[in-house]
Order: sequence, then C-alpha cells, then structure tokens
Amino acid sequence: MIVSRESVTAYIPHRAPFIMVDNLLHATQELFETDFFIESSNMLVEEGFFQASGLIENIAQTCALSFGYLGRQEGGEAKIGFIGAVSKLEVFELPPASTTIRTRVSPLHQLGNIYLVKGESFLEGRILLGCEMKIVVAE
Amino acid sequence: MHANEVKMSWEEIVEETRDFLSTEFEVDRSEIIPENSLKDTLDLDSLDYVDLVVLIEENLNVKLTGEDFKEIVTFGDFYRLVRKKLAL
Repeated sequence: MIVSRESVTAYIPHRAPFIMVDNLLHATQELFETDFFIESSNMLVEEGFFQASGLIENIAQTCALSFGYLGRQEGGEAKIGFIGAVSKLEVFELPPASTTIRTRVSPLHQLGNIYLVKGESFLEGRILLGCEMKIVVAE
Repeated sequence: MHANEVKMSWEEIVEETRDFLSTEFEVDRSEIIPENSLKDTLDLDSLDYVDLVVLIEENLNVKLTGEDFKEIVTFGDFYRLVRKKLAL
C-alpha cells in the first residue's frame, strides 16, 4: 500500500460522505490500483448493493488519487481532475455492501491535460464494471 | 490498411481519413476536403480531440500530440502532417 485510507484526503478533493476509495495500492504511469470497502451506510448503496454510479465514481476517484500521488512524487502539487466523459460502459455485476472491491485503471492516451483511461472494478476476481473515461486535469 | 504495413500515398491518406472521419463523426465525405477547417467540419470540442487522436492512431498508425494540433487548421494541414510523420 502506498497511500492508506487515512491519508487519501491529502490527495483528492473529495470529502466524507463522498469518498469512494480507500487505499492506493499501486500507481505508475501505466497502472493505478486501489481498493474500497463498501460500508452498508454508503450513500450509493441501494437495497444492499453498491450502485453502478458508485463504481464509476470509484474509478474516477482512483484516477484522482493516483494523479494526485504521482503529482506529489514529481515534486508538484496534487492535481485535481474532473470527469469529462464516460464511454464504453459495461456493468456485469453490482457488489453487495460490506465487501471490498479492487479497481484497476490504465491510462490509454493523453492529449494535453486530458487523459483517456480504461477502468475496471473487481470483486474476488470477478469483473463488476468496465468503462473508458476522459479525465480533465486542472492545470 | 495500416501505414506501418505499406507506405501510404497522399491519395490513400486522404481516402482513409475521409472514410473513418465521416463514419465516426457522422459527417458527409464531401465536407472532408483539404481547404475545410478540421475543427469546424467535425464540430470538435476539447474532449473530441482525444477521440480523434485514438482514431488516427488506430487507422493511420500515426501518433499525434497536443503540439501537433497547433499546426493543424484545415484537413490539408492534417494530411501534410500525417505524410510528414509517416516519412520519418
């Protein structure tokens, strides 16, 4: 683990109850990886299941946390990113509350301050949701 | 046809470009001519440029950067830049 859940707010602008990421497990230019324990009280849990909107937000916050971490590593400030667009969305399964999901994001292309990334979330090795996302990083 | 498999002629670059851009951006092929503005014809916003970069790489096997787009106003500019990159 390279950033623990206690420290994520140093890297992302989100605040409780809208923090949808716990620990940063891996962050290189090629791959970001996080995990997230879904509390039953999470605002995006409905009828016992974490909704697709939550999984999408989890991917976006995985990007935010990773870009923030990498920005700090390069000696700068943690940069803030915004979701520009979501495409190629596929939802396979929604995870129940009180489980821990794992999320992997791969940056595919960069054009200036806009990144195209591919994100996937998993529960016990099963894919939950996949999508591409354009992230606009504030300069 | 991929540019790295067979070196493309000017005419092939133009035709390939008209094919994939007209399909992906739902623009009539007749509008994709050298003197027309790339941005206006395809109605590009800043996020669309990322899609354009991906399409160009997939179809022409040419990687463009943000800096490259500063040189591109018309489709003619675009064809010249692609030909220049393919020649490198």
